[in-house]
Amino acid sequence: MPGPDAKKPDPKRFEVSRNTLLFDRFMGWFIRFGGIAVIIAVIGIFFFIAKVAVPLFRSANVEQSGSVEAGVVPPVIGVDERGEMPFLYEGGSKLTFLNFVDQSTKELTVPGLKDAVITAYAFDTVRQRLTYGLEDGRVGSFLINYERKFNEDATGSWLEPAVIEEPVFTVEHGEGPVTAVSYGDASDPDDPSGARLIVVKRGEGQKASVSVIKLMMKKGLIGTAKLRMVGQTDLSSKLSGEAAMVRASSNGTMILVVSKNGDIDYFARDVLEVNKVQTFHPFEGEVPQQVDLLYGGVSIILTSRDGQQQQWSLFRESAESVRTFGMVKEFPPLPKGAVVFSNSLRNRSFIAGAGNYLSLRYSTSGDVRWEQQVDYKPVAGIIDGKSKHLIVAGDDGVIHRYQVNDPHPEASPKAFFGKVWYEGGMGAKYQWQSTGGSSDFEPKFSLMPLIFGSLKGTFYALLFSIPVALLAAVFSAAFLPLSVKRVIKPMMEIMASLPSVVLGFLAAFWLAPVLQYRVPSVMLMILMVPLSVLMIGYCWGRLPVVLRNRLDGGQEWMLVLPVMFLFGWLGWILGPVVEGWFFVYTDSSSGKQIADFTMWWPQATGMAFEQRNSLVVGFMMGFAVIPVIFTIAEDALSNVPKSLTAASAALGANRWQVVWTIMLPVASSGIFSALMIGFGRAVGETMILVMAAGGTPVMEGNIFNGMRTLAANIAIELPEAAVGSTHYRTLFLSAVVLFILTSVMNTLAEVLRQRLRERNKIV
Amino acid sequence: MSATTATMPRPDFIHVEDYNFWYGQNQVLFDIDMEIPECQVTALIGPSGCGKSTLLRNMNRMNDLIDGVSHKGDIRLNGTSLYDPDVEVISLRKRVGMVFQKYNPFAKSIYENVVFSLRVAGRGKRCELDETVERSLKDAALWDEVKDRLHDSAFGLSGGQQQRLCIARAIANQPEILLMDEPCAALDPLATLKIEELITTLKKQFTIVIVTHNMEQATRCSDRTAFLYMGKLVEYGDTLQLFGNPKQKDTEAYISGRFS
Repeated sequence: MPGPDAKKPDPKRFEVSRNTLLFDRFMGWFIRFGGIAVIIAVIGIFFFIAKVAVPLFRSANVEQSGSVEAGVVPPVIGVDERGEMPFLYEGGSKLTFLNFVDQSTKELTVPGLKDAVITAYAFDTVRQRLTYGLEDGRVGSFLINYERKFNEDATGSWLEPAVIEEPVFTVEHGEGPVTAVSYGDASDPDDPSGARLIVVKRGEGQKASVSVIKLMMKKGLIGTAKLRMVGQTDLSSKLSGEAAMVRASSNGTMILVVSKNGDIDYFARDVLEVNKVQTFHPFEGEVPQQVDLLYGGVSIILTSRDGQQQQWSLFRESAESVRTFGMVKEFPPLPKGAVVFSNSLRNRSFIAGAGNYLSLRYSTSGDVRWEQQVDYKPVAGIIDGKSKHLIVAGDDGVIHRYQVNDPHPEASPKAFFGKVWYEGGMGAKYQWQSTGGSSDFEPKFSLMPLIFGSLKGTFYALLFSIPVALLAAVFSAAFLPLSVKRVIKPMMEIMASLPSVVLGFLAAFWLAPVLQYRVPSVMLMILMVPLSVLMIGYCWGRLPVVLRNRLDGGQEWMLVLPVMFLFGWLGWILGPVVEGWFFVYTDSSSGKQIADFTMWWPQATGMAFEQRNSLVVGFMMGFAVIPVIFTIAEDALSNVPKSLTAASAALGANRWQVVWTIMLPVASSGIFSALMIGFGRAVGETMILVMAAGGTPVMEGNIFNGMRTLAANIAIELPEAAVGSTHYRTLFLSAVVLFILTSVMNTLAEVLRQRLRERNKIV
Repeated sequence: MSATTATMPRPDFIHVEDYNFWYGQNQVLFDIDMEIPECQVTALIGPSGCGKSTLLRNMNRMNDLIDGVSHKGDIRLNGTSLYDPDVEVISLRKRVGMVFQKYNPFAKSIYENVVFSLRVAGRGKRCELDETVERSLKDAALWDEVKDRLHDSAFGLSGGQQQRLCIARAIANQPEILLMDEPCAALDPLATLKIEELITTLKKQFTIVIVTHNMEQATRCSDRTAFLYMGKLVEYGDTLQLFGNPKQKDTEAYISGRFS
């Protein structure tokens, strides 16, 4: 009968102490917290990496940031580097500067043009140079220079525009007024000496002529550099038709003459000569409405009268031929109407406008970064030097200014994962080349070669290590006596802790040079060592039982090891002999027959042979991957219940049958996780690949050349990438790809592993 | 060489001669000397750690799988020594079947479990396998219970059925001797009874050696009984005589439950 003190503990019974209960509860929560924290950390890392990469996929943000009533519709518009003070030019001696900061207007007069009759003019945004042609056949130019002035107390600043006049030259060839001009200038802004040229068209109709004035800026012994005319060349006789437009590339090496029949003649300028290279017709029989060179001077953008827009680039059709123009890509068409074009001086962006449509496009990927219908018709436009502003003159007499925020125009899913036809390339391809020698370099951000490299490196590493590691695990778990196993297993585990930088160093500076001239030996060893083991196994089985019983079970390795070494050594020695039999190449210059695998391989297969190749990487990665796979697989095999192995042995199964029929199926899920962890190690391995893989982002399965993997690429390039740049974010994107690659593989593997375990589980 | 009733059963079918056995430095069997007759059930009894399982496991050299074992003396099966230099352990184990304490079927179907010994011997003819499965399962008194689900997993059977499956598996290859290491230790009384009935019928074909802790079991199903204590063979004789009239004090103490 429960009394009032029934709940009181029986003093004779031991109660669980409060401390034990508290500790138990604490540990429960502590472990839960640890587990959740790990998951949060992993997800957090993923989100941090992804967060850096996400801005790559934002399209351009362009917003109107002011407008000024100009009252005119200017044919030419130019601007300073920061988009503060555009100027308008209408073909006289007057330049009108509009200040977007204080809305003021300023006019400048070019003194030399006061009484001149200007019949043609062109503006080059790279040099801020306006070139003009006169009615009397002379051509000249002036530069617009913006200088930033500061208050005395440095509290404010303003731009002070100025005009710098340049010499005027008389065109010798042709007659009539100058009808088109274009200026090319190869000089460096800091060093004005160098070659320049002016392309001039004179007259119209039957009498039209095109000539080139070649100029040279040379420093005398004393004083400043002086611009001298070197000569003039008449191109008229070489033209395909009556010229309509002339274009010189801003570095002065290339001249394009657009004929009225739609042909475009491409001339290349050497030091003194101007030679015709090619005639091409982008739009059959039709004069393009707009032809302009892109930044870098290798590509042109052309627009037809009905709004088709194409990019043509200089490239070689084959390795030997000269560079000629060919169509590289087509952009989404523009509406009909006069075309407004201006290219960025930072990257491959350009603005294109027609009708009342305005868009910002990027030539590498062929993407439209931004587009808008505007309530006026654009007649002229320009991108400022920092690519931060668009200045567009409308037919309504208003100058519109747009703020451009497009930090990553190079980025797009197509650029990362699709084939892109880069400037100078022979076709569309996957290419990774993030930085170049000059500012007008076109970055190539395809991740495909890196993904391919990662998979290739992993493939060759696993090709070598899976058989070795699994066979070693089986041997150790099922054949080796415990005493030997006790030594072998810790040794393998120590091997796993070898720093990969040491392995990479060994691979690059010792293994690679050794293997370079020993490929036939290595192939022979790979063939001979396993065969010799099989052979000795066969012979062993043929020996009478009496002899076989002399050796205790598990001691056979003492017999096998010397044979393996013997045949390994034989393979090494016989390699050059085999090379002499099979790998003889014919030297193309002397016609001699030389036994050299490194030369034979490229000749026989057409693929490259490099010293730091996949074979070296596969070997060395093996040192990193084998211990991981071995240790886990060995544990899985050793943990197969003794009752099962004993039962099968008692039924007369030999050791190999015990392994094959009982141990492998039961341990299969554990072996599978061993393989997956080995895979993860191989995919993520960095240092060995940085040092020994050669680092070329090629997409070739060839075992005798290298690769560049995602991880190695991040290690190599991240220290050099400017924080926040497209390059920097693309490297983070490649990290995301690596992360996803491994998680997808691991998830798939886990699913498969669970199925294996379900099928082979022991109740 | 399966046992036949045509010839006279051999009284020393298994002959253990002055057998000593060591795990490393630790001697577990001392001068065991006994003759086990053909086609009879011989029980090995004794307290835990007395060496009865070790002796049993030496009869098919299962202890070879353990590192650091050594022995002195000899065990002869049907006249030939287990340790003859020309004895292949694999073939030896095909002559000596074994059933373990804990039923341990493989993660395979019932059918594949039974034919395992044929498979590893390289016999794969369908009709031969089918015939073996039917015969072995019938011999193991399991046929009627599983004949409709031969290709289901062996884990779907009850504990007693699994143990009978292990017996069927052990006798599939027609061994001469069947070693049973406490075959009923993990079973309930009903299943135990079935196994014991089975043992009584199997002794017509096989020489059976059984290790057991259960003395009723020994009396119920064995013809002869050996009592081992501290690695020594204390007493060996007809079961009825040994239990009814033990000659040694230790034997009497053990069978009357005074120590275990």
